[in-house]
Amino acid sequence: MNPWLNQVIDGAQISNDWLSPIREQSLQTLKNSQWPNRRSERWKYTSLTALENFNTNNNANNNSVNSALAVGSINGLNAIELIFVNGKCQTNIKQLTLPNGLNISDFRDAPIAQQDKAKAVFNHSKPAHHLFGLVNDVMANEGLLISIDENCDIQTPIHIIHHNSEGDDSHLRVLVNIAAGAKATIIEQGHGESSSANTYFSEYVLDKNAELEHTYLAMHTHLAIHISGCHFNLYDHAKLKSTVIAYGSQLSRLDIDVNHCGEHADAKLNAVYLLAESEHFDLHTTIEHAMPNGTTEENVRGVVGDKAKAVFNGRIHIHRNAQKTLAQLNNRNLLLSRRGQVNTKPELEIYADDVQCAHGATVAEMNEEDLYYLNSRGISLSKAKVMLNLGFIQELVNGISNQALKDWLEQLLRTRFLTMEVK
Amino acid sequence: MLNVKNLHARVEDKSILNGLNLTIKPGEVHAIMGPNGAGKSTLGYTLSGREGYQVEQGSVDFNGENLVDMTIEERARKGLFLAFQYPVEIPGVSNMEFMKESVNAIREQQGESPLSAAEFLKAAKAACKQVQLPLDFLKRGVNEGFSGGEKKRNEIMQMILLKPKLCILDESDSGLDVDALQVVANGVNSQRDQQRSFIVITHYQRLLDYIEPDFVHILAHGEIVKSGDAELAKKVEKEGYAFLGLDDKEVNA
Repeated sequence: MNPWLNQVIDGAQISNDWLSPIREQSLQTLKNSQWPNRRSERWKYTSLTALENFNTNNNANNNSVNSALAVGSINGLNAIELIFVNGKCQTNIKQLTLPNGLNISDFRDAPIAQQDKAKAVFNHSKPAHHLFGLVNDVMANEGLLISIDENCDIQTPIHIIHHNSEGDDSHLRVLVNIAAGAKATIIEQGHGESSSANTYFSEYVLDKNAELEHTYLAMHTHLAIHISGCHFNLYDHAKLKSTVIAYGSQLSRLDIDVNHCGEHADAKLNAVYLLAESEHFDLHTTIEHAMPNGTTEENVRGVVGDKAKAVFNGRIHIHRNAQKTLAQLNNRNLLLSRRGQVNTKPELEIYADDVQCAHGATVAEMNEEDLYYLNSRGISLSKAKVMLNLGFIQELVNGISNQALKDWLEQLLRTRFLTMEVK
Repeated sequence: MLNVKNLHARVEDKSILNGLNLTIKPGEVHAIMGPNGAGKSTLGYTLSGREGYQVEQGSVDFNGENLVDMTIEERARKGLFLAFQYPVEIPGVSNMEFMKESVNAIREQQGESPLSAAEFLKAAKAACKQVQLPLDFLKRGVNEGFSGGEKKRNEIMQMILLKPKLCILDESDSGLDVDALQVVANGVNSQRDQQRSFIVITHYQRLLDYIEPDFVHILAHGEIVKSGDAELAKKVEKEGYAFLGLDDKEVNA
């Protein structure tokens, strides 16, 4: 057993509240879990050494609320902002004016009705094999419960920001229950660059005909250790569109699970990772087609600079009775330097006989002819590279419906690409 | 404008230009013809500064400056423009954004302030109409899914917007039907003035019916073997290159 995990298990104080039974069960599973090493398939290309060596500082600097606000806000988005710094909620949720049909509360003072809706989400979409998900089950004393009532179309985006500062080792959980026919736009954004080690897991249930436009901005960099997951259960005719934009840090891992629990559900997953310097980012996605007539379209693109290291593992699993499934998975990578590294593995596992599926992965360098063409029109080499990088992922960013978010991202990514330039 | 003296250039280990001389004054249109493999496209690429096109000997003076020492983008910013025979497709980068960056890079070099989005849009729309491309081509990825003819018109649109000093048209007529040929030729003719010069690389006299050259040069084995006026192009059209002692099929330079 590993010291870090031991510390977690020893420190777990399962208080007697509405989540205790679930937490207790996860603690038992955790006690019987193996600490992953490089021989574990799910951690083959990602070393946990940084986490093993991490020193917890219980006096994490909480003065970074303002910086979290400054980095977090998105111009023109006019969202309902929910801000967490080092796992503590900074927003006075009770004072928020919420649209009809939208209910938000935190773990501590959730009304019974909210608790019941949250129990229908907690550990329903996140599989038990995520070790750090179990850690989060046990340790996340803070979290958000969001529920949207039947047939309510919530136009205002919900923007959840979590920031981690020096020495912080907090754990945060978000549970979202979208009732039948309801619609929502949710943006989750994480940042922090100081030495910290955090887990962040969100779970979503989309009931029949529910629709979610989801964005996850994994923007922890430098020394931050960030292990996170986004998990979705889709029931009949539910529609999910999710976009991930990720930077890398010394250890950054994101697991996405989409479970087709009902028929005719539709999942569109776009993910982009943009890695600079010696950053690391590991994306594992699993799509479970358990029911017939589902569709999945997953496009993952990465731009990997300098000595950065990207890991992508995308699995689509089509169960025996998931007939008429349409699923495709594509991963394309652009390597900006000879020292960069991409480990990509798309996987299709099909047990039904009447499905249409495709998968593929490529790793390529920037096209010299494209650069020459832009140069020959007076555009400098560094600007040309930014344009081509942005062009490579533009299609996926364009998939985001919210214009303000898209505009903000485009500016942000231009700046990002300049820092990624390899000289 | 341009003074090329004894230019020798190679691609990898193959010598392609072997002592080429060419002098172009402001406002002149020079047509360059010649058999396949004579070095016509290489001349365009070498002047544009393309990587891998190595100048071995000779000099190129462009408005009093040594062109050979400049980077690709410097040459463009100082007014050299190459309309490509096969323009690349760049999905994801919009034609509009590409041309705006390009126009503003060149304006910056010339000490002019960058065009605002609205000013550029106005200029781009006018240029787009002039080459008879639908306006939605501005929003599409650079050359993405364009037909051969549309790509050529897109090159001419860029030329109109960039207002270069020296335009090199590398077979801008190849693969065009008569209507598209006229659009391209009209685009070029609209830009002709006392200051702007053109090098028109072509296989066919046909284009020269529309863009009347001041001089016609025949390029073979990497050097100019004969120069004349428009009549020379007509003679080539009628008789092939045989009268120059050249095979008009493949020439292995």
